[in-house]
Amino acid sequence: MKPEYKWSVIGQSVRGASHLRSGLPNQDAIKFHADTDGEPPVLLAISDGHGSPKSFRSAVGAQRAVEVAVRVTKTFLDGMKDLPLSAIKNAAERFLPADIVKTWMQEVDEHLRCNPFSAEELDRLEREAGVAAKQAAIANERHRIAYGATLLLAAVSDSYLFYLQLGDGDILTVSDTPQQVESPLPQDASLIANETTSLCMDRAQKLFRFRFQSMQGIPPALILASTDGYSNSFSTPGDFYKVGTDLLGMIQKNGLDYVEKSLAAWLDDASRSGSGDDVSLGIICRCGIAQPGHNPGDVAPEESRAVQATDQPPQPAPHPE
Amino acid sequence: MQGKKIESLNLAIKESIKPMQDVADENPNAEVLVRVIKFSDGAQWHVSQPTEIHNFKWTDLDADGVTDMGKALTLLADALKLENMPQRGLPPVLVLVSDGQPTDDFNGGLKAVMEQPWGTKAVRIGVAIGEDADLGVLQKFIGNAEVKPLVASNVQDLVKKIKWASTVPLKAASNPASRSKDTPGGGVNVQIPAPPADAAPVSAADVF
Repeated sequence: MKPEYKWSVIGQSVRGASHLRSGLPNQDAIKFHADTDGEPPVLLAISDGHGSPKSFRSAVGAQRAVEVAVRVTKTFLDGMKDLPLSAIKNAAERFLPADIVKTWMQEVDEHLRCNPFSAEELDRLEREAGVAAKQAAIANERHRIAYGATLLLAAVSDSYLFYLQLGDGDILTVSDTPQQVESPLPQDASLIANETTSLCMDRAQKLFRFRFQSMQGIPPALILASTDGYSNSFSTPGDFYKVGTDLLGMIQKNGLDYVEKSLAAWLDDASRSGSGDDVSLGIICRCGIAQPGHNPGDVAPEESRAVQATDQPPQPAPHPE
Repeated sequence: MQGKKIESLNLAIKESIKPMQDVADENPNAEVLVRVIKFSDGAQWHVSQPTEIHNFKWTDLDADGVTDMGKALTLLADALKLENMPQRGLPPVLVLVSDGQPTDDFNGGLKAVMEQPWGTKAVRIGVAIGEDADLGVLQKFIGNAEVKPLVASNVQDLVKKIKWASTVPLKAASNPASRSKDTPGGGVNVQIPAPPADAAPVSAADVF
């Protein structure tokens, strides 16, 4: 049976304003999977490398995290075809975090094996974080701290969706009837003051938040996943949530292509005037929500191609301390 | 605290405002807000509202009496409660300055601070003025064996160390980098560079 809904996915990751000043690279990563015909499964993964002196290879850790998450989840979904929803839910919750963590650990271990910590990296670690941190990096099983990163994943299949999150960052759903922005995952109240749970932690697979939803009724128009550099650029959670409805309005009015072309500039603005951190945002979009002529595959009449490039997301504010 | 010590502390804080503003300007993505608690006989807010550093003005302290440090920490703990703090924020920097020994329940006050998630994640610095200050309680407040209390024995030394305590941890905490919750290092979540060397007094009259 053909799936009822089709999907597109876009995303962008920009280097933070503070990283530009300090010479650090972008330590976020984003990866998504969608077939050209828009049929599910659609996957979106985002990761935020910690960037602290102890996590000096977290850009690599983040990149490995999104690659592993998409690959492992795609394989998982391929193996779940024709199973009852309850079986899929239980398997996803029980096995997927462990598989992702185990594969990520194997990949960063392999990266380290091929690229041992250099004397320069270890000297800088000792200078910036002390002797204990250097000894921990060299010690068995603690070396993965150097690659520490968070992970957010949204997966859309033909009859269900699920979300996985380890660490800070945000997954939001935006409905169009009625217009509503929600956080499908429970908040982790312990994630404050820039401390986060991480793929490099012991028993990281036990620290994931998970939510499974069967696709009854109309699914969300948008699913947004972003690193905390984006939400930290807004004064209040309410201001950040408004991005959801603003993006929905822009896509409805101007199409997803317009948002895709503008996204990097918007995220740069957010970092510059907000958190200063790297900022990454991915958007899974239900096809057909835009006005005629602006949906993927639509043939637009000439007069409707002009795009009003006046809409902007809410202006962020500095990060309080 | 009285006499030369309190005069020196007031001078040191006034001289630290511009350097703090400079740190804030170097980190435009972090908004620096300052509050102050004073304690002697009891404890109360000296600057109660979080004040943006470019708007911060110092009114001289007058703290004659005993050293109710426990009450100060209890007041601090209330301010650090989750419902009283912004939902998203960088680690706070807490600087405890004292010239004596606590005369009330210091351990109870410290426990109240450490029961708050924002308290455990704060950068905590201790500054001792003169040789009568209890370094043990300041070390307990800091809670990290690798970071020792700063000890100021004269006017110039106090100015130098208050300036350091007001700016260097602030700069470190203003970094948007995140940290894994269980990284080794005794729970330290912000790495602080080593403090400055002692400053010599200009004259014998400047020694506490």
